[in-house]
Amino acid sequence: MFNEKTIEEVKSANRKASSDATSTAFYNNPRIRGLFYQVALVAGLLYFFVTVIGNTLDNMEATGIKTGFAFLDAAAGYDVLMSLISFESTDTYARIFVVGFLNTILVSVIGIFFATLFGFIFGVAYFSHNWLIRKLAVVYVEIFRNIPLLLQVFFWYFAVLSSLPSARQSLSLGEAVFLNVRGLYFPKLVGGDLAWVVWTVLALAIGGVFYLRRWAKKRQEITGEQFPVLKASLALIIFAPLMAAALTGFPFTVDYPALKGFNYFGGVTVIPELMALSIALSVYTGAFIAEAVRAGIQSIPRGQTEAARSLGLRENKIMSLIIVPQAMRVIVPLLNSEYQSLVKNSTLAAAIGYPDLFNVFVGTALNQTGQAIETIFMTIIVYFIVNMVISFLMNRFNSAVSLVSR
Amino acid sequence: MTAISSNSNTEDVIVIENLNKWYGNFHVLRDINLRVKKGERIVICGPSGSGKSTMIRCINRLEEFQEGSLVVDGVEMIEDVKNIETIRKDVGMVFQHFNLFPHLTILENLTLGPIWVQKKPKAEAEEIAMKYLERVKIPDQANKYPGQLSGGQQQRVAIARSLCMNPNIMLFDEPTSALDPEMIKEVLDVMIELAQEGMTMLCVTHEMGFAKKVADRVIFMDGGEIVEENEPEAFFSNPQVDRTQQFLEQILNH
Amino acid sequence: MKEFQPSSPRSAPVKSVGLIAWLRDNLFSSIPNAVVTIAFISFLAYYIPLLIDWAFLSANFKGETEAACVNDGACWVFVNAWSYQFFYGTYPPEEVWRINLTIVLLILVIIGSFTLPKSIRLKTSIAAWLLLPVVGIALLDGRLLGLEMVSTDLWGGFSLNVFMATASIVVAFPFSFLWALGRRSDMPFIRSVSVTFIEFFRGVPVLSLFFMGSVMLPLFFAEGTNVDKLIRVWLVLIFFMSGYMAEVFRGGVQAVPKGQYEAADSIGLGYWQKIMLIILPQVIKISMPNILATFVMLFKNTTFLLIIGIPEVVQTLQTALSNSYWLGGHALEGYLFVFLVFWGSCFGMSLLASRIERTMNTDKRD
Repeated sequence: MFNEKTIEEVKSANRKASSDATSTAFYNNPRIRGLFYQVALVAGLLYFFVTVIGNTLDNMEATGIKTGFAFLDAAAGYDVLMSLISFESTDTYARIFVVGFLNTILVSVIGIFFATLFGFIFGVAYFSHNWLIRKLAVVYVEIFRNIPLLLQVFFWYFAVLSSLPSARQSLSLGEAVFLNVRGLYFPKLVGGDLAWVVWTVLALAIGGVFYLRRWAKKRQEITGEQFPVLKASLALIIFAPLMAAALTGFPFTVDYPALKGFNYFGGVTVIPELMALSIALSVYTGAFIAEAVRAGIQSIPRGQTEAARSLGLRENKIMSLIIVPQAMRVIVPLLNSEYQSLVKNSTLAAAIGYPDLFNVFVGTALNQTGQAIETIFMTIIVYFIVNMVISFLMNRFNSAVSLVSR
Repeated sequence: MTAISSNSNTEDVIVIENLNKWYGNFHVLRDINLRVKKGERIVICGPSGSGKSTMIRCINRLEEFQEGSLVVDGVEMIEDVKNIETIRKDVGMVFQHFNLFPHLTILENLTLGPIWVQKKPKAEAEEIAMKYLERVKIPDQANKYPGQLSGGQQQRVAIARSLCMNPNIMLFDEPTSALDPEMIKEVLDVMIELAQEGMTMLCVTHEMGFAKKVADRVIFMDGGEIVEENEPEAFFSNPQVDRTQQFLEQILNH
Repeated sequence: MKEFQPSSPRSAPVKSVGLIAWLRDNLFSSIPNAVVTIAFISFLAYYIPLLIDWAFLSANFKGETEAACVNDGACWVFVNAWSYQFFYGTYPPEEVWRINLTIVLLILVIIGSFTLPKSIRLKTSIAAWLLLPVVGIALLDGRLLGLEMVSTDLWGGFSLNVFMATASIVVAFPFSFLWALGRRSDMPFIRSVSVTFIEFFRGVPVLSLFFMGSVMLPLFFAEGTNVDKLIRVWLVLIFFMSGYMAEVFRGGVQAVPKGQYEAADSIGLGYWQKIMLIILPQVIKISMPNILATFVMLFKNTTFLLIIGIPEVVQTLQTALSNSYWLGGHALEGYLFVFLVFWGSCFGMSLLASRIERTMNTDKRD
C-alpha cells in the first residue's frame, strides 16, 4: 500500500524526468520530432525545386528555348480544323488558346449531356419489369466501362464513321439531315426581321414555367388541388413560340445543307472528329453514370417504397417524392467526379485531331515554340478551373436536392 | 361469388376466404380464412416464418396472393390499380423498422399523405398532423428529421403518420420488435389508447401483455396456416392445440 | 388436447411458377412490355445470325496474307498475321522467352499472394511484388543479367501495357500509403504537401502528365543526363497512380475501427510498429476491391501512351492498319480483337473485385 510520501516522491521524480527530457532525450518529444520531420521535408522539397529549376534553366539555355509568355502575341501560323469564333492562321497563339478552350467546352457540354441521358436511361433500366431490358442495361455497362476510352474513340472514328458513304451517296433524313464520311449536316434556322419576337416569347415562356411552378405550389398549399405542371410547362414552351411565329408570319428561313461539288455546304456541320469524340465520351461515361444511378436507387431500402404505398401514394408520386430525392444524395457526388473525368478525358481529342485546347496548345503550340512549361501549365490550369467550376455547381446542386443534414 | 355475398354482412370489415400464397414453389399461406368485425382488435402471433407478416401485408396489397379472395371494407382486392388505391387509403400500416422518410421533417412525413393523396390544403394537413403528433405526445419534434429521434419516438411518428390518413383499419407489423426495451412501453401506450377508441386493429406482435389487455381475439399461426384462434383469456389459460401450448411456453418463460 | 397436423403444402398453381410464370412476369407483364419484348427479340433474331455469319461462318481464318481473305466475312487472317506484334511489339523473336518468363513470374506472384500459407503470405508477397519490377526490367533489358540488350524502343504491344500498369502500381503502392498517412497527419506542413500532391495528380488530365513525362521531364534532369523515355513515362505513371491510390488508402485507413489504434497504443507499440503491424494489413484487405478498380483504370489508361508515340497495343494496331500490304479495311476485325483482349482482362478484374467485396461483406456479418 502506498502512503502519501511515496506518491509525492514518485510525482517529483516524474517531474524531474520530464524536465530532463528537454535537455537529454529531446528527440523523444513528439512535438520536436514532428518539427524535425517537417523541417526535413521542407529542406528536401527546397533542394528538389532548386535543382530542378537550375537544371531547367541550364537546359533551356543550352537548347535556345525562350521563356515567358511573349509567344502568346505572336502569329500562330497554322489553321485549326474547326473553330467557334473566327480564326485565321495569322491570328495569335492567345486566340488559338481561346479557340481550343471553346472547342473543349463544346465537346464537354455535348458529352456531359448525352452521358447523363444514357446514364439515367440505363441506370433506371436496371429496374425494368422487362428481363431483356434489365439484361441490356447490364450488358451496356459491363461492355463499355471495361474497354479503354481511346479504343472506343478510334473505333467510332476509324471503324464506324470512316466507313460511311461519300458525300454523293450521303445517308439522308427527309432531304434535310445528311450523314457522310465528311460529317453530319443539318439545317439551320436563320432569323428574319421579326425573329426577335419569337425568341422573346420563348424566353417569356421559359420564365413563365418558373412562375407556373410557383403558382401551382401556392395553389396546392391553399386549396389542395394539384396542377399538371409538367404537361402545362411543355405545352407552354412548345406552343407559345409557335403561336408567335405564326402571328409574325414565320420570320425564319431554313438554311438547308446542299451538295455543291464534292461536299455539302450551308446549315450546321458536325465534323466526324467531334462526332467520334462525343459519342465515345458519352457512351463511356454513360456506363459509369448508369452504375451510379443504379447504386443510388438501390441504396434506398424497400421499406421506403412500402411505407409510401401503404399511404396510398401512386407509383409516379413515390418516384418523385420519395425515391428520387433520396437517390440523388448518392448519385450527385458520383456524377460530380464522372463529369470531371469526362472533361479530363476529352483531351483524347489529340488522338484523332479534334482541335480541343489540349490538342491545339500542348500539341501544336508546344511543338512550334518549344515552350513546354508555359504551354502545359496554362492548359492544366484551365482544366483545374473547369473542374472546380463543375465541382462548385454540383455541390450547389447537391445541397439543393438534399437539404437534410440528418 | 362467395366473396361478394359476404359483403352483405356489413359488420365484417375484412373478409379473407381460402387465401393461398406461394413464393415460387414455397407455400407460405395455406387456406387462410379470417373475418374481422368493425372495431375488433386482433393480435396475431407465431414463430418466425409462420406467415403472419405476409398475411397482414396481403391486406393492403404489399404482397400479392395467388388464390382465394380478400374483401376490405366492401372492396374486393383484384388486379386493378383503382381498387388497390381505394383499399390502401382505407388501411393504415405501421412497420417494424418505422420506415419514416429520412429526407423529410416529421411534419412533412405526416402531411405527405394528406397533401398528395387526399389533396388537402397544406394548412389543413398541418393542423391534422399537429393534432396527431400531440396524441402521440411529441408535438415539439415536428420540425426535426427522423434521424434525430429515438426509436420509440420514430415509431410513434409512424403511427401518427398512418392516422393522418384517417384510416378505418390499422395494421401493425411487429411494431415493437426493433425497439430497445425501455421504449416499448411508450409505443404500446399509444396503441392501447388507439384500441380503446374503437379502431379496428390487426397486430402482429409478441407482446402478450398487450394481447391480454386489448385483444378481442388472439390468432396463432404456424407453417402458413391459422392453428388456433380464441379470446385472449381462453387462449392463454387453456390452449386447445399442442403446438400453441408449446409456443406459449417458450415465449412466456423468457 | 388436439395435436397440430401441418397441412401438406400444395404445389403452386401452374400459372404462378415455372417457365410460363417467368415469361409472364419478366417479358409479357403488360402490353407495352410485350411489344418491347417482341421488338427486341426480332431485332436480335435478325442481327445475331448476320453477326455469326460474318464472324465465323463466312470468315477467313487460314492464310498468311491479305490475299487469303476471299470470303465475305471477317478477315481474321489479319489478326493472326499480326498477333506477334500485338502481344510483343517489335521485341526480337529469339529473345521473346524473356517476356514470357516475366509474365509467368507475374502470374506466379499473383497466385502466391492468394494461396501462400497465411503465416508467411503478407511478408512474402509484399517482397515478391516489390522485387518483381526490378527482376522484370533486368530480364527485359538484359544487360544486368549478361544477356543481349534489347533497347526499350523495341518493347511494345499488349505486354507493354501489362508491364507499364503493373510496374507503376507496384512502385506507387508504398508511396501512396505514405501520402495517405501524410494527409491524415497532425503536422500541418506534411498534411498540406500531401494534399497538394494528391489533388494535383488526381486533378490533371493523364495525357498532360504523359506530355510532362516526354517533353518537360528531360528539362528537369541535369544537362547531359539522358533518361530513357519509357522510364520517364513510368515515373509519371507512378506519380499519377500514387495520387489515386492515396485516396483509396485514405478510405481504407478511415475504415479501420478506432479501437484498433487504441488497442495498438495500449500494448505500447510505436507509431511505425502500429502502422506496419496492425493498420497496414487491415487497410490492404479492406481496400482490395478499390485497388483493383484503380488498377483497371490505370490499365485502360496505358493505351493513352500511344499519343506520345509509345508502341503499346493500340499503336501497334494503328501501324498494322496502315501497313501497305493490309489496306483492305480491317479496322473492324482489329478493333474487335483488341476490344476483346482488354474487355476480358478488365471485366475479369472487375468480377474479382466484386467477389472480394462480397466475401468481405459476409465476413463482416459473422
